[in-house]
Amino acid sequence: MLENLGEDKSIYLQIGEMIEDEILRDILKEEDQVPSTTELSKYYKINPATAAKGINLLVDRDILYKKRGIGMFVQSGAKDKIKKARRDNFYESYVKSIISEATLIGISKAELKQMLDKDDKQKLL
Amino acid sequence: MSTLSGKNLVKKYGKDTVLKNVSVDIETGKIYGLIGRNGAGKTTLLSLLTAQNPATEGEITLDGQPVWENEEALSHICYSREISPLTIFGPNTTKVKAYLATAKAFYKNWDQAYADELVKLFNINVKKRINKLSKGMLSAVTIIVALASKAEITILDEPVAGLDVVAREQFYKLIIDEYAATGRTFIISTHIIEEAANLFERVIMVDDGKIVLQENTEELLSRAYRVSGDSAAVDSAVSGFKSYNPENLGNHKAVTVLANEPVDSFGESVQVEPVQLQNLFYAMCVDTRKEA
Repeated sequence: MLENLGEDKSIYLQIGEMIEDEILRDILKEEDQVPSTTELSKYYKINPATAAKGINLLVDRDILYKKRGIGMFVQSGAKDKIKKARRDNFYESYVKSIISEATLIGISKAELKQMLDKDDKQKLL
Repeated sequence: MSTLSGKNLVKKYGKDTVLKNVSVDIETGKIYGLIGRNGAGKTTLLSLLTAQNPATEGEITLDGQPVWENEEALSHICYSREISPLTIFGPNTTKVKAYLATAKAFYKNWDQAYADELVKLFNINVKKRINKLSKGMLSAVTIIVALASKAEITILDEPVAGLDVVAREQFYKLIIDEYAATGRTFIISTHIIEEAANLFERVIMVDDGKIVLQENTEELLSRAYRVSGDSAAVDSAVSGFKSYNPENLGNHKAVTVLANEPVDSFGESVQVEPVQLQNLFYAMCVDTRKEA
C-alpha cells in the first residue's frame, strides 16, 4: 500500500489499483483477506463509501470475493486476471507516453529500440 | 432514514441578507462537507437548520415535520457550536465537567462512556474552566459533545479550528470509526478543505449567501479539470464550457473547467489535469468577489 494517495485520478480507482499492485507483488496472495473498508478509510482518511467503491470494482471484475460476515478475499486466478488486464492497457498507459516524449525530443524509433536492447540486466524476457 | 431539509431559506439581519433563498437536503447516513469563505453564510445556515435561529423566510423540516420549537425533531439533531470563552456577562467560568453534564441532560442518546474516553484521548482536564482552555482545547470539547451526543444528525462547525495536526488526524479517524459503526450523519464545516475533502461523500459549497453546489464529491470532481497550454489553444478547447479562474503566464494559460458531465478529451493541443476540491473551491470563489 502506498502511504499517500495521488491527485491524478479518482480515489476509488487508486484504492483498486493499490490492491491489484499488492496482488501482483504477492504481498496479497490468493485466498488472503484484504483490508476492510473501514481499515482502508481510516488509513487514507477517505469516506468508507469511496473505499467500498474501490473494493467493489475488484469484486465486479472477479478479483476479490466476499465471504459473508468475514470480509473480502483474493479470488484464485486473480493475479493472472490483473496481468491480462494491465497487458491490454500497457500500450495506452505506458508506451504511448514514451512515444510522445520521444517524438517531442526527437528520439528515433531505432534509438528507442536500442534502448530496449540496452536492458543489460536482462530483466525483460 | 430521515431527511433534514431547508426550503427557500432567507435570513436577514436588518438590511443585510445573509442567506438568499437557499434550499438544502441532508439525507441520513452520509458525511457532508460544508465549505465556503468567511462570511459566506455557513454558520447561519447551520443555525437555521438546527432551529437555533429563526429563518426570515422558508421552512425547515425533519421528515416533513417543522423543526422550529419541535423538541422531538430536535432531539435527533446535535449542533455542537464553537464554545466562546466569553459570555455577555464576562469570562465563561463554567467548568468543562459542568458543560458536559449540561450536554448530557440535553441529548437523549448521550453516551457517557464514550465521552469519558474522548476526554482522555484529547487530554482534557474537566476541572478546568472554559475561559482557561486554549483554542484547540475548546475545539476538542465541541468534538466530544458532538460525538458523545450520538445524535442521528450531528453538525460540527469548524471542528478542527485551532487543533494541532495530531489532534486533527485523531478527529478524522474518530469520525470514520463512528460513521462506520453507526452510519450517523455528519455535517462538517471546515476551511481546511484539503485534509478533509476525501472524507466527504457529499459537498455543499456556499458563497455569498447562496448554495453554489451540493453534490456527490466524487461526481463533482469527475467533471472538473484544469486545462492549460498555449493561450489560443486553451481558449478554443474550453469554449462552450463553464470556466473559472483563468491565469496567464506569458503565452501559457490555465483555466479551471466545471463541465456538466465528464469530458473525454479537450483535444491534443492542451494539457488536462484533475482538480482537487480545494482548488475547485478556490477557482469558483475567487471569481465571484473582487480580489482584495
